[in-house]
Amino acid sequence: MTFTDFLQLLTDGLVLGSMYGLIAVGYTMVYGILQIINFAHGEIFMLGGFGALFAYAWVPALHEISLWAALPVMLVVGVLVSVTAAVAAERFTYRPLRNAPRLAPLITAIGLSLFLQQVVFNFFTLPGESMGITAPVPFPQLDGGPLRLGGVTVSYAAILTLVVAAGAMTGLTYFVGRTRTGRAMQATAQDPKTARLMGIDTDRVIVVAFAVGAVLAAVACLTQGLRLGSISYNMGFIAGLKGFTAAVLGGIGNIRGAMLGGVVLGVAESLASGLLPHLPSLQMFGGSVWKDVWAFVILIVVLLIRPQGLLGERIADRA
Amino acid sequence: MTIKMSSRVAQALTATGAALTLASPFLAWTWTAAYPGNLTLNGYPGGSQVVTLVTGLLATMFAAAAFGVPGVRRLAPAGAVRALRAASLAALTTTWVTVAAIAITLGGAVNVEPGGWLAAVAVLLLATGAHALADDTAESPPKGVRLPWAVEVALITVVFLAAMFVLTYGITTDSAEDFLAFLPAAGFGARALSVAGVTRRISEINARHRVAVAALASALVFPFTQTGDQYTAIADNILVFAAVALGLNIVVGLVGLLDLGYVAFLGTGAYSAALVSGSTFSTFHIAPWPFWATALLGMGVSLLAGLIIGAPTLRLHGDYLAIVTLGFGEIFRITVNNLDGTSGPSLTNGPNGINAIPDIELFGFDFGAPHTILGVSFGRFANYYLLLLAVIAVIVFVYARAGDSRVGRAWIALREDEKAATAMGIEGFRFKLLAFGLGASLAGLAGTVMAHLQTNAVPDNYKFADTAPPNSAFLLAAVVLGGMGTISGPLVGAALLYLIPAKFEFFNRYQMMLFGLALIVMMRFRPEGLVPDRKHQLEFHDEQVSGAEARQVAAEATV
Repeated sequence: MTFTDFLQLLTDGLVLGSMYGLIAVGYTMVYGILQIINFAHGEIFMLGGFGALFAYAWVPALHEISLWAALPVMLVVGVLVSVTAAVAAERFTYRPLRNAPRLAPLITAIGLSLFLQQVVFNFFTLPGESMGITAPVPFPQLDGGPLRLGGVTVSYAAILTLVVAAGAMTGLTYFVGRTRTGRAMQATAQDPKTARLMGIDTDRVIVVAFAVGAVLAAVACLTQGLRLGSISYNMGFIAGLKGFTAAVLGGIGNIRGAMLGGVVLGVAESLASGLLPHLPSLQMFGGSVWKDVWAFVILIVVLLIRPQGLLGERIADRA
Repeated sequence: MTIKMSSRVAQALTATGAALTLASPFLAWTWTAAYPGNLTLNGYPGGSQVVTLVTGLLATMFAAAAFGVPGVRRLAPAGAVRALRAASLAALTTTWVTVAAIAITLGGAVNVEPGGWLAAVAVLLLATGAHALADDTAESPPKGVRLPWAVEVALITVVFLAAMFVLTYGITTDSAEDFLAFLPAAGFGARALSVAGVTRRISEINARHRVAVAALASALVFPFTQTGDQYTAIADNILVFAAVALGLNIVVGLVGLLDLGYVAFLGTGAYSAALVSGSTFSTFHIAPWPFWATALLGMGVSLLAGLIIGAPTLRLHGDYLAIVTLGFGEIFRITVNNLDGTSGPSLTNGPNGINAIPDIELFGFDFGAPHTILGVSFGRFANYYLLLLAVIAVIVFVYARAGDSRVGRAWIALREDEKAATAMGIEGFRFKLLAFGLGASLAGLAGTVMAHLQTNAVPDNYKFADTAPPNSAFLLAAVVLGGMGTISGPLVGAALLYLIPAKFEFFNRYQMMLFGLALIVMMRFRPEGLVPDRKHQLEFHDEQVSGAEARQVAAEATV
């Protein structure tokens, strides 16, 4: 294990973590306002990737041009699909349950998650193939070999992930901090009743929170497709679990915390699967099959030591 | 829904419809025995005709009660007309499903004989008449009379036997058509009994005598009615599923903790049992442990896992528990998948799992060999059926006793309002951990039996969501669909969720999608489940409940 190997692991972790962070933002924003875990967020993420792939597969013109030029189109379609699904989910499943006991929206979310996953499984169709998918579907790849920076290998897709994540976070910080809607969102998160009395349309704010989360999730899924070369109808489950873990890690309800939590989780996962094989007694637990286990162990440890998360403040339960 | 019509005409329609409905099953509905159940004979009802006959009888009974026939009236204490309507819908749906299925599966309406058409028209007359009659729902149903002890116990036993008979019919239907005709009949039939006030009366009597023994006794009858192992195997799987769902119901229904990885505790129990079973695939090459020791081990290991998961998370907001258990469920599967000696330490034999687990031998009783009891031969699955009944009895006992105790009241208080409960001096964390650990160990117990029943423990049996139960999503759905916080709810939920996928293989591909949709719709319109806990029902529909009723329930709760 050389220092270069270590740098490689760090870089991989950073890329992975940026993607986790993008997913985590969606969880944290909805939780910050409604105090519900939108379990279906992982599926919103997955839909973004399939939306993008759908556009690429069914518009032949996109095959003629470079994938770099086709990306914006794919991104727009993916984002549209994700946002539509998220907003519809909010409107038709979560909103009617806003005053129901806590268990109800959680169970609804699980149902929604299964439903969306299975809709893709049953009905996603590629040109010239029968309806429905069973195996992971190949995702178009960016041309050009990986870059070598020092001894570290980075693919274009990885760089794109980092750039997009940084851009998205900058945009989001501006949106939440500076725009009217963003500030309305902060106010609603602090105290929905008072916010409503101050004339804020809280229903609209909630829809915006779902939509913004969906945009970032769709972007994340697109980058994952580009990095790994395939997407699958059940990818949302683990991705959602990781995204939520990242959100908790950073302090749920805190948007910057979500990004930080994502990066910490990604780096920890990458180091665990890369470094453990070099430790004499733990080498059996290294490798990629165990990385999800380590992510989970990290979550348990954080909940034990610092349950409010890295950047979270201990806030009283809202009655 | 009511239809406007003079009451004379409505009564005449109902009576004619009922009479014709009762007569029609005795005619031939189709010409060929190709349709399952042989509906071709005159004078001898077969297959789904029996369902029409039974629902017709139910409707006739409530029609008699609605017309004020002396004596019958007492069968519908809360009002007969709504019950009659539900019963007529039961007859209508089951008959039309059958007639439509004959036309579709045999390729055309020409295959329906006059008897079938008569049945279809008869049930329509019956349903129209029933919906035109004036509603006679009693404002406050009269208090039930107390009958002699022996009579009440006998009554309960008969009721349980009848319920068992209905369930057995559902299990033993051997075609999707028959099951499709059975399902709405059972649903509307149950609704008829419920709105008639019969269900309420029965549960009152039940509460007076605590005749859980009667329920157990009627469940014991099932293997005596079976000649082969085919349906007993199905019943066994339902019982495993139901046992685990009941365990989960303590955690979700009583304490309100959402456990999304419950199947992992079942898996922990199953793997513990598999490892000490003496199977050649087990890493421990030891003589098989006696089953009682295995059961204790399975419970102990699951309890330990429950405490490890619960201790850090139960102090926090409930939502954290949901995600941590979801993670744990997945981690369990990944772990047992990789403890195969190459990608991890050697323990569980990886994706192949531990196979060839020998049958249980308990106090010299070999569960693998057939036994003859009262002249009836009990095969392997019937033996396990008895064992699983015992496990369920243990779980129900623990559930009922814990639920009625100080601990149970603390759990319910925590579920209803954690802050208020804590302010009253209930230590939330301790009670929650107790429930979580108890739930985990009961699942572990069920797991030990499951490993022996299925003769293997493989990772893919313990997923979060899959097309066949038990898995975490189905378990949760069984509890929610059946009714949180009740004993019969998860049993009903488990039976339904096992039978529906098993009987309708043709929609395998769409099954999970419809299932997800069902969860969403259920939470939106009937969050309290099919067999609601009265308290839950009030909580979910408080705007629809009168003050008097709320006070009555409150009074019952304090007794």
